[in-house]
Amino acid sequence: MAVQGIWSGTISFSLVAIPVQLVKAVSPGRVSFRLLHDKDYSPLARRMFCPKQEKMVPPEEIVRGYEIAPDRYLPITDEELESVSPERSRTIEIVGFIDMNEVDPVYYDHPYYLVPLKGGEKPYRLLVEIMHRTNRAGLAKFVLAEREYLVAVKSTDGALALTTLHYHDEILSDEDISPKEGKVEALAVGRMKKSIKTMMADFNPGKYADERREKVMAILKRKAREKGTVEAPAGENVEGEGPPDLIAALEDIMREVEKNR
Amino acid sequence: MSQKVVEIAGRRLSLSNLEKDLYPSHGFTKAHVLEYYRRIAPCILPHLKDRALTLKRYPEGVEKDFFFEKRCPPHHPVWVETAEISRDDGERMTICLVNNLETLIWVENLASLELHVPLARAGSPETPDSMVFDLDPGEQADILDCARVALILRDLLSRLGLECYVKTSGQKGLHVYVPLNWTGTTFADTKTFSKAMAIVMQKNYPDLVTEKMAKEHRKGKVFINWSQNDSSKTMVCVYSLRARERPMVSFPLEWKELERLAGEGDPARLQVTHGEAVSRVEHMGDLFGEVLVKKQRLPHL
Repeated sequence: MAVQGIWSGTISFSLVAIPVQLVKAVSPGRVSFRLLHDKDYSPLARRMFCPKQEKMVPPEEIVRGYEIAPDRYLPITDEELESVSPERSRTIEIVGFIDMNEVDPVYYDHPYYLVPLKGGEKPYRLLVEIMHRTNRAGLAKFVLAEREYLVAVKSTDGALALTTLHYHDEILSDEDISPKEGKVEALAVGRMKKSIKTMMADFNPGKYADERREKVMAILKRKAREKGTVEAPAGENVEGEGPPDLIAALEDIMREVEKNR
Repeated sequence: MSQKVVEIAGRRLSLSNLEKDLYPSHGFTKAHVLEYYRRIAPCILPHLKDRALTLKRYPEGVEKDFFFEKRCPPHHPVWVETAEISRDDGERMTICLVNNLETLIWVENLASLELHVPLARAGSPETPDSMVFDLDPGEQADILDCARVALILRDLLSRLGLECYVKTSGQKGLHVYVPLNWTGTTFADTKTFSKAMAIVMQKNYPDLVTEKMAKEHRKGKVFINWSQNDSSKTMVCVYSLRARERPMVSFPLEWKELERLAGEGDPARLQVTHGEAVSRVEHMGDLFGEVLVKKQRLPHL
């Protein structure tokens, strides 16, 4: 399956600007299911329900509220929220080059890859090479889907990977976790060191797989073979979730068109 | 001043200055202009219907001054259909609707050689029934470059599940139309969409395409004018004459034909004259008919 672009723009620092497209680096491993009506297998939609009035609430009657205390809210409008949203941007501006070893993995949020676009291949390769040699990653601010993220751009096997990072305020403190009582005994240290040594291993991710997922997929395959599928009645096309960025979608299609030219 | 009274559909109309040379270097007179529009009427009238007409009048011919007239001339015959529209400044204005042959002939008697109409009908001025890509070659680019861009646009649109149609502008460019005919569409949608396509085209064909209006960006390139997708803008109507030296027409082409002509590499072959226009529609009918009826929705918005 071709990877779908999420965003496209340029990655830049000082005088370098490289056109790139952002794609996902991981696909959700969980097998997802649609909720269906068991009478006719129509896919179900979610509606908002007011338990007080015991009725459905149409979208135009729904507002947002920030909960201050039980049953006390501060209502806020979409316009107010929009007024503080960062402007959409077409650049990932690198503001510094950092040593990734200094970044605690607890800061890692979501991994992506950056794919070079037409005309960007050469400077892209150069940036990958330099980052690899210097063992440094670019730190940048980047606006995606109305939110500004702190991101790290690093080289991995000839490609650029982008990881969104959590902001400092989001990280919960580990202060209260480490036990303050008791003393570590030298003898116990030695014993544990020894047993760890006997269990030393290389990290080999290909060796492990989500066993439940494999079992679920096996059930689905068997059912498809033995019982076949069920079909929902034809109806209004439920709007599919399009890619979040029109330009990224067009870039994907442009690449396909080019291939067939 | 010569006068001639004619009767069309039971309505009397006084035509003036029929011998006036409106295209002097080709001896194409007002009588020729009226005759062209009379013969093309079955094809052009559906495309003018219920749209606020902007007249582009050349009372002294194409070599002299012209003026735009949006307001329906006050002394219009009682049978000319009109509509009230709001201008951008909020003021109401009466405009003409060219909904029948007699109105078309009356408008041409005013030497409105070019007929310009909005992408929306007067009754629903904020609902475009098509999205347009106005391809305009800059200096040192020509209509063949426009043809290349149009063919790429067509491929791109087709991948998005959208059919499109192309016509010559009758000057140097091409116009690609994507029929929508769906009441939920807004100009904000068509503008966002066409702009995104123009940006992606510019990025992938930086030597061929620009989406910037400024003249210095357009040299040797095709300007994709997406900003035409606006309620305040008009496009020259398909089958309208253009006021150039020669009486050329904004005329629809089949994609196959455009491919062939682009391959042959002679820009002159992409121009359709008034005579060719009349004989072509007799054989092929209205190649732009689908633009008025085909229902399509813009994806990914």
